Amino acid sequence: MKKFLTKIVLYTFFILLIGNGIAWLSLYFIGKSNLYKPQFVKNGVKEKHFDYVVLGSSTGLTTLDTKLIDEKLKTKGLNISMDDSALSSHYLMLQFFYQQQKTTDYLVLAVTPWDLANENPVLNNNDYRFLSERNTTAVREYYQTIPYEGFPVLKYATYFPLVGVSYYNTELFYPSLFTILKPEKRNRFDEKGNYSYPNLGAPIQAEATTTAMQFNNPYFKKIKDFCQKQGITLVLYQSPLYKNSVKSNAKDYFVNHSDFISVDSLFYDNLHVNSLGRTQCSEDFAVQFNTIRNANRK
Amino acid sequence: MLFNSIEFLLFLPTVFFLYWFVFKNQLRAQNVLLLVASYIFYGWWDWRFLSLIIASTFLDYFIAIQLGKTSISKKRKLLLGISLVGNLGMLGFFKYYNFFVASWIEAWSSVGITMEASTLNVILPVGISFYTFQTLSYTIDVYRKEMKPTKSFIDFAAFVTFFPQLVAGPIERASHLLPQFYKNRTFEYQNAVDGVKLIIWGMFKKVVVADNCAFFVNKIFENPEVYSSGELFFGMVFFAFQIYGDFSGYSDIAIGLSKLFGFDLMVNFKFPYFSRDIAEFWRRWHISLSTWFRDYIYIPLGGSKGSQGFQIRNVMIIFLVSGFWHGANWTYVVWGLFHALMFLPLLLFNVNRSHLITKSYGWLDFAKIGVTFLVVCIGWVFFRADSIADAFQYLAHMLELNSLGLSLFYKTNANLMIFGLSVLAIGILSMQELVWVIKKRELPKISAFGALLLVLLIFFMGSFKNQMDFIYFQF
Repeated sequence: MKKFLTKIVLYTFFILLIGNGIAWLSLYFIGKSNLYKPQFVKNGVKEKHFDYVVLGSSTGLTTLDTKLIDEKLKTKGLNISMDDSALSSHYLMLQFFYQQQKTTDYLVLAVTPWDLANENPVLNNNDYRFLSERNTTAVREYYQTIPYEGFPVLKYATYFPLVGVSYYNTELFYPSLFTILKPEKRNRFDEKGNYSYPNLGAPIQAEATTTAMQFNNPYFKKIKDFCQKQGITLVLYQSPLYKNSVKSNAKDYFVNHSDFISVDSLFYDNLHVNSLGRTQCSEDFAVQFNTIRNANRK
Repeated sequence: MLFNSIEFLLFLPTVFFLYWFVFKNQLRAQNVLLLVASYIFYGWWDWRFLSLIIASTFLDYFIAIQLGKTSISKKRKLLLGISLVGNLGMLGFFKYYNFFVASWIEAWSSVGITMEASTLNVILPVGISFYTFQTLSYTIDVYRKEMKPTKSFIDFAAFVTFFPQLVAGPIERASHLLPQFYKNRTFEYQNAVDGVKLIIWGMFKKVVVADNCAFFVNKIFENPEVYSSGELFFGMVFFAFQIYGDFSGYSDIAIGLSKLFGFDLMVNFKFPYFSRDIAEFWRRWHISLSTWFRDYIYIPLGGSKGSQGFQIRNVMIIFLVSGFWHGANWTYVVWGLFHALMFLPLLLFNVNRSHLITKSYGWLDFAKIGVTFLVVCIGWVFFRADSIADAFQYLAHMLELNSLGLSLFYKTNANLMIFGLSVLAIGILSMQELVWVIKKRELPKISAFGALLLVLLIFFMGSFKNQMDFIYFQF
């Protein structure tokens, strides 16, 4: 028995050592790359100050083209939105952005009514993308405090990277092998952080509805407080929703594009516009954003 | 409780420690511990269903005691009948009640008569088909006077609920497993090491092979009409490996866990995808079930003795019952029928045992293995599809050869990666098993280095995010 237990302990220790070593290396290489948004913000973005940044989930990522807006307004913008995320991740991204010594005058927060209404946010699907940055205060705190559905993988991955890299092996381990060869490779976004859906797809027919925004999500308040503290002007942005008109009584600046597009061919699906729709939205946003900037200057 | 869960990771060392350190050399206490641990293990899903196991245990325990006391044939038959009705009645109610009611209504509606009958919202207790057959084997063996009834309720209850194999087998015979509860068990180093290696191999099959394949299998079988012939072909092959990795992985883990506690379970799979014909496949696949049916149904029916018509009848019965055992759906019955039809020519030409003549594998054997594998794969489509019509549609669409495109597998980076992992996992599994088959091994034999490598592969190739329940839990 003694021999058995000794060997089990030794082999377990050895496996955990090797496994954690591989996982650590994997995160190290991802951390040195531009693969996901957090690494891009850290390594790929050289500018320190921006006129505005767009922050949101896939709607923010695929609706506002910062290149086009900058062209129109002669501004310096960046899209730090991340698909399949929510306000909790946006708050983390904003903190992370500032911890990289980067600043912005305006925060264009792309919101959705259901995310704003969510009183009990939990870990989002793509929050693992911050794992290589687990040593920054914002990420560590986030992984420790955000509620998990099921086993808190990222909470333990802060100390044992094997837990996280193994669980997210197709998202972290295998991509990390590519980053060794191509550290500059970005995962589906351009040098300004934008991505657009192709001019394919179509929305599924739906009845016209109206949705009222409810600001129940605790992370919305955290973002507002953060903006106030850092002197950032918050601009809420609602991207086009297929046959869903969003109403809001927000006191912040609000660019509402929920019913801006009514042509089916400009939608990729019910929640996202395609490349053509993006151009229309970005152009109109530039006009409205310019008005906001002018008003804010006074 | 799942073997591949965090809870089990805490449960196993706790039981192991109590078993070998606190209750060392105390046979009765060890058996009580195993019983309590097994109830906790099972109750973790739904404690209410413990009552069914306990009821089944009481029933067969007392019936066997009574069988031991009487030699009056009529009374013995009555006692056996009570056990059969009790156990199969419970199984029938929980597993087949809704199916029979729905089939009854459907049959009448097909001739224009509308009937109304209420179905019940019956939840299928996990592993009911496994432990029911295990307890039945005990009563039948006592009835046949092949074993004596046990006086110890604890030993018998521990045998019925033994947690490593409780919910998905191997379906142990009382004559093999129960006596092991009577004997003092001592810790044997090599046995425990072999057990750990089997657990690792089983985990690899489940987490790496089965769960990665499941990612595509679920997509393809959910909506087969939108996929190309090539994708449907891969869907079929992936399911073959999913169900094999899943089920034989569970068996390996069960056998390995049992070894840790000093028990020896029967081999349930002997590398079945290296079978040269369907007869050999059934000697290598789910052996504990096929031998159960052989011993308790096929042979009592007359087996392969008697006229050809008699033999055909027996083969059809055994395969149809085997199909129906798997679940309350006509797809399983058709799956059984399909295998019966593939088996019958071998029986009729008297070549169903030709594979038993041991010889080394030649090219012709590998060609036969390939053909048998394809036949088995076609059978799996019936097993996996939601309905018989869906299965035929799947096969028809696949054989149309409309397109061999495989875009599903590279549509996104994640799909491409999981496809690569699935193919790699199947490759590793097949190559390793080929070596064992050629060396004529019955159980996997893994070196210490191989085991370490497998653990790393589990960590970095395992599908933890898309973790699936063991398929056979539903049976």
